[in-house]
Amino acid sequence: MDVDVDALEPALLPSRIQMAFTLAYHVLLVPLGVALPSLTLLMEGIGIYRKDPVALKIARRWSVVMAVQFAVGAVTGTILSFEFGILWPRLMGRFGAAMGLGFAIEGWAFFLEAIFIGIYLYGWNRLRPRTHFLLGLVLPPAGLLGAFGVLASNSFMNTPGGVTLGANGQVTDVDVMGALFTRALGHEFWHFLVALYLTAGFMVASVYAVAWLRGRRDHYQRLAFAVPFTVAALLTPWQLLIGDLAARAMAEDQPQKFAAMEITWQTRDHNPEVVLGLIDDQGEIHLGLSIPALDSILVGYSPNTTVRGLSAFPADARPTTVEANITHLAFDTMVGLGSVGAALSVWYLWVIWRRRRLPDSRWFYRLAALAGVGAYVCVEAGWITTEVGRQPWIVYDTMRVSEAVTDAPASFVWSMLAALVVVYGVIAYFFITLLLRLSARWKREDLREEAPEVGVPYGPRSGKFETGA
Amino acid sequence: MARGRGSSRPVPDLIAFVLLLAITAYSTAGGVDFGAGIWDLMAGNSPRGREARALIDHAMAPVWEVNNVWLVLAIVLTWTGFPILFQKVFSSLYPLFTFALLGLVLRGAFFAFRHVAEEPRAHRIADVVFGLSSLLTPFFFAASLGAIASGHLVPFSPMSVAFGLVSLAATAFSGASFLVGDARRYGAPELVVHFQRRTVVAAAALIAVGTFALGVIWWQAPDLLRSMLAGKGLPFALATMILTPLATFLIWRGIFRWYRVLTVAAVGSMVFAWAFAQSPYLVPGQLTISQAIAPPPTQVLLLVVAAVVVLVIGPAMGLLYYLDQRSALESPES
Repeated sequence: MDVDVDALEPALLPSRIQMAFTLAYHVLLVPLGVALPSLTLLMEGIGIYRKDPVALKIARRWSVVMAVQFAVGAVTGTILSFEFGILWPRLMGRFGAAMGLGFAIEGWAFFLEAIFIGIYLYGWNRLRPRTHFLLGLVLPPAGLLGAFGVLASNSFMNTPGGVTLGANGQVTDVDVMGALFTRALGHEFWHFLVALYLTAGFMVASVYAVAWLRGRRDHYQRLAFAVPFTVAALLTPWQLLIGDLAARAMAEDQPQKFAAMEITWQTRDHNPEVVLGLIDDQGEIHLGLSIPALDSILVGYSPNTTVRGLSAFPADARPTTVEANITHLAFDTMVGLGSVGAALSVWYLWVIWRRRRLPDSRWFYRLAALAGVGAYVCVEAGWITTEVGRQPWIVYDTMRVSEAVTDAPASFVWSMLAALVVVYGVIAYFFITLLLRLSARWKREDLREEAPEVGVPYGPRSGKFETGA
Repeated sequence: MARGRGSSRPVPDLIAFVLLLAITAYSTAGGVDFGAGIWDLMAGNSPRGREARALIDHAMAPVWEVNNVWLVLAIVLTWTGFPILFQKVFSSLYPLFTFALLGLVLRGAFFAFRHVAEEPRAHRIADVVFGLSSLLTPFFFAASLGAIASGHLVPFSPMSVAFGLVSLAATAFSGASFLVGDARRYGAPELVVHFQRRTVVAAAALIAVGTFALGVIWWQAPDLLRSMLAGKGLPFALATMILTPLATFLIWRGIFRWYRVLTVAAVGSMVFAWAFAQSPYLVPGQLTISQAIAPPPTQVLLLVVAAVVVLVIGPAMGLLYYLDQRSALESPES
């Protein structure tokens, strides 16, 4: 049933695995990369406004984590940009003039971020507090601009627009605004941006939820927990709404992907919503819970709404059965965990609103401690949904993944993949070791004062250089 | 080299020039960093070597990953501004880029690791991997430029090897020159002498390898050599031939004025000499700027973005380097 492109394009499989691996890795660095500066500045602002040295100390520590993780993200991001050439040279060869625009914007935003993270980190004690804070304010919009650029490019892949194609498929003219602001951008941008902020909020807060569970209940712990968790809790309910709008737009703009997300086989009204479950090659659903007509109701507010199924599209223009199942399970994971996060947020906001204090239930903190990891799983699941769901297209309905792939021998791509897996593993190990060390040092340091950046590879120099050191 | 094909248009040429600036910035600023990595590798494990390594570490920490930015900009400008060039170059030269990238990740990872490693042996391994990877990246990136300059886009050819070797010598030269400055800044007179000597050695190597490379170009791409020595590349070729010995002379005699600016200018001129010599070709004999350029609206957006950058990022970058060079950003505690 499926076209055997593997035989034609030997490097296709390893290229897809490599891209998936490096992107899945990089995406983990994005939430803190984009949103942690805002949380840090919020904390610093609180510290300056309330003249609270504890808040300033927290902000300064977060800025160290921010810098270390930015350095890792810079490396994995550079790799990704080269992979566009090494693995998919024909994608940019054909659509670079349009799809590259977003990346061009992102490139400059990344530049701005790199510079100001440097200034911010090294300026803690050298700049006046207000100047330091104001210079830091460049970071959130720079992160925003970067996210916009990447999502503009990704949206172009999902709902291409703004290009005039010549007879041979080459781009002959570009409408810049049309290529940047394609149909998918609106919901992709807001959905991802809110996801980044709430993920960063849950992640940072989860560290201090663990501290609470271990018995730490001081001003430091309360502040470092409450600020990020409040940000996340305020955003999470909105995310359900934005996600719902996104799914509805998807049913319209990318019907194959939507059919895969909901594992719908036949085009029909009264389409059931299948929770979990798997589809087979004949369109039979196995396992899972089927809720009658709910999918139709969600898409068009009426059970009579017609939803297009996978079988409405030629087999070589829709995700394969395996891809559809991956997309569906990823989508359900995201929605399921997102709903748990929203419930947790409501619990938190309810306690704050009614009792004017932080929750004191052990169960709340247990869930809050898991919320960070949960949010990361959601980000991965959401990314898998949109990328796997787009298969077999690299640019939706226009260019196949197999048309874009490199001519390099498969053995070359497999070897590169193996090398990257090893190196990325090493980086992850160093990164985690470093964070644990920082955490341990800060615990010691709370007993005796010491600057938080001491001994960090990307931190300011610790005092004077001494020969023979 | 035959001129006149594809009448020169100002906007595409300007975009090609911005791309050249990004490549030059990476070659010079990144080169200083990679060069420091090369000296780190050569420092050995003697007490003096360890001191040199400590200085290198100290000097590199704040700005090294900012340099990746130039690389990303060059890539992004290529695929957006010259999509066909991007496809052509990557379809054929992917092995070179892969090795360069491998150097890049290994370097980043092990630079971090040597701060984390406590056991001496692990620390030593981290030093060696860091140093070796500092050789990979400049060699293979420059090799890709050599393969482009040859007009044949063959990954491993005399031209790619020659360019790679020149790049190694040039990074070692600029690395040593800047380390002289760092040693002075931190008041380590023995290390000033240490790196003064190394600057001279690297300069001699650079002149030797450069001459050899000219021979290879003469053999492999005579048109390019003509344009380099009797065409548009000449002013820059001359500049690099004058500035390299001049910067070296200043450093050798301990005249510590302008030597870093001259170092950057010497290495930058070398990149310019290559690029101007092969203009208006992006790939000599195969692809010109006007053949590869993206449609006009894309060009306009690229220029707008670049203009914003000059206005915003230029001063910000200046501020960071200024604060760094003045050590104003150091933690006050000692």
